[in-house]
This record gives sequence, C-alpha cells and structure tokens, in this order.
Amino acid sequence: MASTTAQRRLLQEYRALTNNPPEGITAGPVSEDDMLYWEALIQGPEGTPFEGGIFPAELKFPKDYPLAPPTMRFLGEVWHPNVYPSGLVCISILHAPGDDPNHYEHASERWSPIQSVEKILISVMSMLAEPNDESPANVEAAKMWREQRPEYEKRVREGCRRMLGL
Amino acid sequence: MEEQTINLPQLLILLLLGGLAIRYFFFASSPTTSQTRSATSANNIRAREADVERIQQVFPQVSRRNIMWDLQRNGGNVVATTERILSGRGLEPSQPDLITRYNLKAKLAEEASRRESSDSAVEEEQAKQKQGQAWSQNKGERQALLQRRREEMILAARRKMEAKVAAESGQTNQSP
Repeated sequence: MASTTAQRRLLQEYRALTNNPPEGITAGPVSEDDMLYWEALIQGPEGTPFEGGIFPAELKFPKDYPLAPPTMRFLGEVWHPNVYPSGLVCISILHAPGDDPNHYEHASERWSPIQSVEKILISVMSMLAEPNDESPANVEAAKMWREQRPEYEKRVREGCRRMLGL
Repeated sequence: MEEQTINLPQLLILLLLGGLAIRYFFFASSPTTSQTRSATSANNIRAREADVERIQQVFPQVSRRNIMWDLQRNGGNVVATTERILSGRGLEPSQPDLITRYNLKAKLAEEASRRESSDSAVEEEQAKQKQGQAWSQNKGERQALLQRRREEMILAARRKMEAKVAAESGQTNQSP
C-alpha cells in the first residue's frame, strides 16, 4: 500500500505520542486504516473548573497535512468561549497563516508544518485554562465567562461530571 | 430518397436521445422501478432533508449534521427538535457520556468488585501494564494499547470524580 506524506507523518506522530505521551493526553487514529481521522482525550487542566474532566475530541486531517492544519471538534458539550456550540475548536494554531478570520493572530501562533498534533492538544489544554476573549466562538459562554464567572464555572463543572457519567 | 437513407441513423440517434431525455426528466426520481423500497426510503430522506432545511433557516447557527441527528433520534419530530434548540442548550449535549461511548459499564463494575480484594493484586497488574507501554510493530497491538490507555484514563478520572462527588455530598449532609 502506497503511503502518502500525510500518512507517514501521522504515523510518526502517533509513535511519538505513544512512546512519550504528554501528561493528560491520549491520542491516535480511530483505526489505522484511516490515518486522517483521529480521536483524542484531553484532561481538564488542574486549578481550573475543567479539573477532573476528560474531554473527547475528533481530529480530521486534510490530505495535504502537514501543509494544512487539521480541524478539531469536541464530542459532547464543552462550555467555553473558544469552542463553538457544535464542538468545533477555534484557536490560532488551527488556522493556516493565510486565513486569519479575526485579523489579530500572529503568524508565529498559527499553523505551520513544524507544529504537531501534540502541540495542538497542549494548546487546547491551555486554552481551556485561559479563554481568549478576543474571538468568542460561543458568544453566550464568553458573556457568561466575562460577567457571571461563578455561573460559568458551575456549568463547566456540571459538564465535567456529566461527561464521566455522574 | 437518397436524403432519407442518410438521415435514418441520425433519426435513430435522435429518437434514442429523446427517449433518454424524457426518461431523465420525468422518471429521474425512481431510476430503477424494481427497487421500489429504496425509492420510498429515498423519499423519506428527501422529506427529512426538507425538514432540516426548514429548521436551519430559522436557526442558522445550528449545524445541519446536528439537526439531522436529532431528527433521526426523535423519529422526525420537527417540533421537538425546535424546542430543544430553543431551550438554549443546543442539540449537542445528548452526545453519550464517556462510559457509554467507550462501553465501560462492565469495566466499572469489575473495578468496583476488585477494589474489595487485596491491593497487592492491583499493584501487580499496574506493573504488568507498564511493561506494554511501548510502540509495537504490530498494528493490532498498537490499537489495543491505545484503547487500554484511553480506558485507563477515563476510569481513573471517573474514580476521582466519584470520590469528589461523595466527599461533597458528605459535606452538605453534615452541615445543618
């Protein structure tokens, strides 16, 4: 079976993530028959309302990965200013340098082939801890985060429990 | 006379094309009459898509996929889906939790019963698991390892969360 650059690169990243898994992250292809479709689990960062939670997400890679970035979508509710109600994650590392929908991101923060799945997942983890108020993907969550922080935290904590079936 | 014989193949082609065109325009919805069952299900899908379209015109912020999924789940009840969207929680939260998603009910029960047995057995197993943490050359083994890591992560988090919930409810019970 001929393997493309994307497949080779993703297999290499999968190996690195298996041998040297970052704290609180498990990621890999749903099936190695399709290397362009991954599932990841991210642990909620400590000291935040997400603490103790585990959040599943899907990663879809384009055929020309790593030239273009993957898309990442949480499976299930993640109440957060930078996560669309559909679960789609909106952070700069997932945007190619050419498309900056918000016109504020630095090129260095955006996607380039030297980034990786690991860096994306770590960025998403820190995004959970520190929302970026400049580009709300979920306007309601952003408003709640700004104006009613205790409610926001309560809703996030409830979400963590529900996700674990409690 | 000569002209007619020249035109005959052309006439045949014309007839054939005309026939195909009529077939295409008037019978496009059921291309194969033998598969009537698939035709009715195709009609259902079309009706479902029209419903999705209607809901999405009112709520452009909700994705097609979610609307489709919710309609599928409630048997095509447009009113119920509309109410779910209006309730403000969107259509997403009905995604299964992690225990259901990864089918961990049996593992949870097993773990609970094992907790009563000796700790040394647990430690032994943990040591055994540590051994198999490296990249395998075998695709199946890699898949199994990933699945095990995922399950361990979820079960550990669930254990901690359970303890936390228990501690919190204990506190509220104690306070007057």
